[in-house]
Amino acid sequence: MTIGTTKRVVRTGGVAAAVVALAMGLGVAGTMPAQAATIQIGAQVPTSGSEAPYGIDMLNAIRMAADQINAKGGVLGDKISIVPGDSACDPQAAVNAASKLVSQGVTGVVGGYCSGATLPTLKIYGDAHVPFVITASNSTALIGANPGNAFMVNSTGYDQVKTAVDLFKAKGIKTIAIINEGDAYSADLARLTRAAWEKMGDKVVDYEVVSKGEQDFSAVVTKIRSAKPDAVFWTAYYADGALLLKQLRQGGYSGMIALGDGSNSSKLFQLAGAAANGVFCFSNPTANFLPSAKTFTADYRKQFHQAPGPYSTLSYDGMMLMAHAIQVAGSTDKAKIIAALKSTNGFKGVAGPITFTPKNTLARSNFVVLQGAGGKWTLYTGPGAPKMP
Amino acid sequence: MSLTAIFLQQLANGLILGSFYALVALGYSMVYGVIKLLNFAHGDLYMVGAFAGFGSLALFSGWLGAGWAGIVPSILLSMLAVGLLGVLIDRVAYRPLRDAPKLSVLITALAVSMVLENTVLAATGGQFTAFSTDLGFAGIDLGLVHVTYTQMVLVGTSVVLMVVLELFVSRTRYGRAMRAIAIDQDACRLMGIDVNRTIALTFFIGSALAAASGVLAGVYYGSINFFMGFLIGLKAFTAAVIGGIGNIPGAMLGGLLLGLLEAFGTQIPGIGGQWKDVFVFAFLILFLVFRPTGLLGKPEVERM
Repeated sequence: MTIGTTKRVVRTGGVAAAVVALAMGLGVAGTMPAQAATIQIGAQVPTSGSEAPYGIDMLNAIRMAADQINAKGGVLGDKISIVPGDSACDPQAAVNAASKLVSQGVTGVVGGYCSGATLPTLKIYGDAHVPFVITASNSTALIGANPGNAFMVNSTGYDQVKTAVDLFKAKGIKTIAIINEGDAYSADLARLTRAAWEKMGDKVVDYEVVSKGEQDFSAVVTKIRSAKPDAVFWTAYYADGALLLKQLRQGGYSGMIALGDGSNSSKLFQLAGAAANGVFCFSNPTANFLPSAKTFTADYRKQFHQAPGPYSTLSYDGMMLMAHAIQVAGSTDKAKIIAALKSTNGFKGVAGPITFTPKNTLARSNFVVLQGAGGKWTLYTGPGAPKMP
Repeated sequence: MSLTAIFLQQLANGLILGSFYALVALGYSMVYGVIKLLNFAHGDLYMVGAFAGFGSLALFSGWLGAGWAGIVPSILLSMLAVGLLGVLIDRVAYRPLRDAPKLSVLITALAVSMVLENTVLAATGGQFTAFSTDLGFAGIDLGLVHVTYTQMVLVGTSVVLMVVLELFVSRTRYGRAMRAIAIDQDACRLMGIDVNRTIALTFFIGSALAAASGVLAGVYYGSINFFMGFLIGLKAFTAAVIGGIGNIPGAMLGGLLLGLLEAFGTQIPGIGGQWKDVFVFAFLILFLVFRPTGLLGKPEVERM
């Protein structure tokens, strides 16, 4: 009895030792060369859920940038490999994805689409000191929550306000009416615009909050007309915005109308029809409006057989910037990469030069102004338009 | 704009918006009047009506155009389809619960509302659909106010539908049967009135009116979506209560009053805009405190 047991223990122990030894051997054989040849970069984008089309588009652009870098020999002699992390535009999913990327030991992370989902991941990357280049999320809430390792290459709400005010000034506007829907995004933009406009001594003659999903704006239109603003600024989304601008024109308002970037959708023209012609809209730098993005667009079409989406240029720039920072840092040491990102000065991105403020936001806004013409958006280059890269 | 012009323009705005509320409120009020059920699915029938009208117009516009020639048959087809849907809903969801506690039927109505909303959400992917027609901004200037032909047809259609309904309920045998059922279902059965058929008819008419209103809203605003019935359902219910729920002329009055309150509430300097709904619903509370039966409602007498 006792002898038999001892024997079994010995045998089991031997097998276990052999398995461990084998695993270690395989591990050494499997990971050693891989570690020497690739730098892992996480791509935190929504690849499932309602925002997936945008996320996949960003992932494509990030992959394309990595492929182009690798084709030229990679960074510091190593190839870049992209590790996708699905944020699903959901805070909880994003936190899971971020934790997974960190535990996988990525050198840096590029991406971030929905601001609400990006916000809680800032702390995770911050605690792990992982450099994070945010390529789409642009809520002003991210600025204060940034532990210092995140860098935003998309312009924020403050930049949009400045773009709007510059345009109004150049157009000789004296009084404006601001309409929002009371949600965090549109109320924030409306509040910032009002503050900036009044700070210059100009008047906001009407400031309205309308209910989301309301279809009849006639009473608001009459009130706006009675306040006689030179320009009307709608800070919320395209679906209700289309109704408002249609009813503004129908109600006899003939002044300038400007829309925030939430209304930047081609659907606006289907819903508002002819009323959308001549209307201004602020937008993030999308490939189809950037003269500098010709090569990028051609490459993207060639690789993915479709037109690049709204955040693809910024995501491409973000990956290129990350690679550049690793090159400058001279190693994959995360602290050194963060320092290199921080000292970025005039990095030439497709969507414009990148230099960071002390708060890690863009020193120079890359917002563009669009104008509705003939049923689609066109790039506005008249007086008050931001300078193009 | 002069003060008079603003006043007249808001009056016009309020009447136009109010006629939408009134049309939807009529269906609410009718169903409540006859079977004492708050049909929360009513706003969603308005939404389904808008989509049915959109589909019909796509069908008709090929040979009738997207002007009124194509819109009128689309409204009629949508009214028929949604009227039948209303009958179906009554048959499947409400009729089996005729003798159940009122609360069960109320919850069922909420469930029906969810089913309709989410069915359309799933079918359309939640997208806002453009309801494009050939109607322009053309119209006539009535003194200081510009009224488009579309707006005139809209208010005209609402008024005609309301008058026809009132005549139907007060002058025809079917209308008399409805009023009788409202008073005592069992007595009606004893008198040889087909109660279930009359209730089905009530649902048909109420749903058809909601559909008409939905198509008109689509035509007028040019955009429809799965959620469009929610807010108007709430407002129409309010209108019905203000007017005296169960009372047809009351629903019309309530709808118009609510539309006017919203229009003038928006214009109030300083507050207005964001406070509009606070203003409107605070009025509703005050109104009900001092006149619980609404404008034209009669206090219910509990018979022993």
